[in-house]
Amino acid sequence: MTRTRWIALGLVAAGSVLAQAFGPHPPYARWWDLVPGSYALFGFLGCVAIVVVSKRLGKALLQRPEDYYDAS
Amino acid sequence: MLPELPPALVLWLGAAALPLVPRRLRPAVFPLFPLAALALVWALPEGVLWSVDYLGFRLVPLEVDRMSRLFGAIFTLIGVLGGVYALHVRDTGQQAAALLYGGGALAVTFAGDYLSLFLGWEVMAVASAALVWAARTPEASAAGRRYILVHLFGGSLLLAGIALQVAATGSLALAPFSPGASAAAWLVLAGVALNAALPPLHAWLPDAYPRATVTGAVFLSAYTTKTSVYVLATLFAGWDVLIPLGVIMALYGVVYAVLANDIREILAYHIISQVGYMVAAVGIGTELALNGAAAHAFSHILYKALLFMGAGVVIQTTGRSKLTRLGGFAKRQRLAVALYMIGAFSISGFPLFNGFISKAVIVSAAGKSGHTAAMVLLILASVGTFLHTGLKLPYFTWFGRDRGIVPAPAPRNMLAAMAGVAALCILYGVAPGLLYGILPFPMAYRPYTVPHLAETAQILVFTFVAFWLLREKLAGEDRIALDTDWFYRKGAPVADRLVVGGVNRVFSACDALANRSARALADRVRDLTARGIRRAPVGASLALTLLVLILAAVLAMVGA
Repeated sequence: MTRTRWIALGLVAAGSVLAQAFGPHPPYARWWDLVPGSYALFGFLGCVAIVVVSKRLGKALLQRPEDYYDAS
Repeated sequence: MLPELPPALVLWLGAAALPLVPRRLRPAVFPLFPLAALALVWALPEGVLWSVDYLGFRLVPLEVDRMSRLFGAIFTLIGVLGGVYALHVRDTGQQAAALLYGGGALAVTFAGDYLSLFLGWEVMAVASAALVWAARTPEASAAGRRYILVHLFGGSLLLAGIALQVAATGSLALAPFSPGASAAAWLVLAGVALNAALPPLHAWLPDAYPRATVTGAVFLSAYTTKTSVYVLATLFAGWDVLIPLGVIMALYGVVYAVLANDIREILAYHIISQVGYMVAAVGIGTELALNGAAAHAFSHILYKALLFMGAGVVIQTTGRSKLTRLGGFAKRQRLAVALYMIGAFSISGFPLFNGFISKAVIVSAAGKSGHTAAMVLLILASVGTFLHTGLKLPYFTWFGRDRGIVPAPAPRNMLAAMAGVAALCILYGVAPGLLYGILPFPMAYRPYTVPHLAETAQILVFTFVAFWLLREKLAGEDRIALDTDWFYRKGAPVADRLVVGGVNRVFSACDALANRSARALADRVRDLTARGIRRAPVGASLALTLLVLILAAVLAMVGA
């Protein structure tokens, strides 16, 4: 990831938070629709949660060696 | 003026005719059949176009409405593009199987009665298994065997449901079930849910699709699950139970995609995830939600085919399919990467791509109908979608660690097919009215609003940021993740002993008994012969018995 790309991403992020803060609200808005940056936080935490929870589940319960079914 | 024939017949005719075409021309002739079927689907008027009375039942092999036309159109369209993708393949069996399979999907889509539906359903099961077997590897052979057994089981659930339904109503007509109606409804639902890959009845999908042929997987990704969505929308709209089940599906696929190492397995789990949106939408059951399910099925078939095509190019040109053995050759495969990314942006719901305009309809329908939890969880699943198909898969396949892979040049037709599908993904994303205009119900929905764009941009940017921070954790691992196929894969030897072994022992015992009796009888007959009767009338008595049995059967039928 080059510096320019990070800056571009930052601009998109800033723009979208500003649009949420000062732009129109969606019909049927929920409380979090009124909190600027709520979806940024949701995206970030959601992604972290998906990775952590899935990996934990994998380690604790689901993962086996690749030849698991051949072995028996 | 086109004849009012079931579009399925066009593809089935193709399957029969293909072997008669000179071998060299077969791949080029293949796409003509779905193209002709597409024209037919488009031209057919609405209503019951063909019905026959058979054994007191009314069969309707051809009934057209807006919903079936939409599904029929996308099934045939992807058949054409899948055919272009497979132009380099010289395998008549595979091509015929693909046509049979597509025809099965069309037969289900345009069926107006349970028997026609069931016929198409079973043709799909058998023909699609052939696309797995056509890979001709030991893994594909075993996976195909599991696949066909699971689907025949699903088919028998469906058939049992149909039998109960016919016994209760005396009619084969397809009519929506009211929620929780009857045992028949639940059995039909179970049979259909299996083909929709609804956990725990889903394990056949990530088991078989990654092992199918490169070109066959494109057809597989399109037909079986989406035919089920169509049937669910026709019979089970508004069944509340489908909302939580759909949401579970959407997240289930996401969790397993984190653990998957094979690129087509990641995509396979994301079929389950995406079909979850459609199942939830059918459960919500409002006009907006059903439009969303239909629109998302349409979009999904396009971008998922494109993703499978991209993964297929990787497998075709490198011979590798696992993230742990791929990486670092994006510069040597730029066009395929770019086209794959169009599919990835589409499935992730980037604005201006077709996933955005259809997924949004379902999420909005959930919100508007007061299913807030479902709405939030579906948005969470879309975070996972971007994470896997948009970031993890391309990053570790083409970027990431350079393993010195020099891919063979990809056949041009594969890239041309990808370009065609990619163009459609963008076309519908830029001009959503083209899709909204052919949905089952009138549509006033606008996807491009400021709040929706702001929401999407925030989610996508910060999913990317989180991926970038955690990317080392997401690298593939040389391990598999257990899924519900564990029960039948580990249980098979036990079941074999119980069901097959036991039955075989009974049969061989009966066999031995029959042989012994026959020998004893023969000995007696020989005695008789010795005593001067030249031929025992064994044949005559057998014939008489048979005649009596047939008479009895005929009488019973006439009497009934």
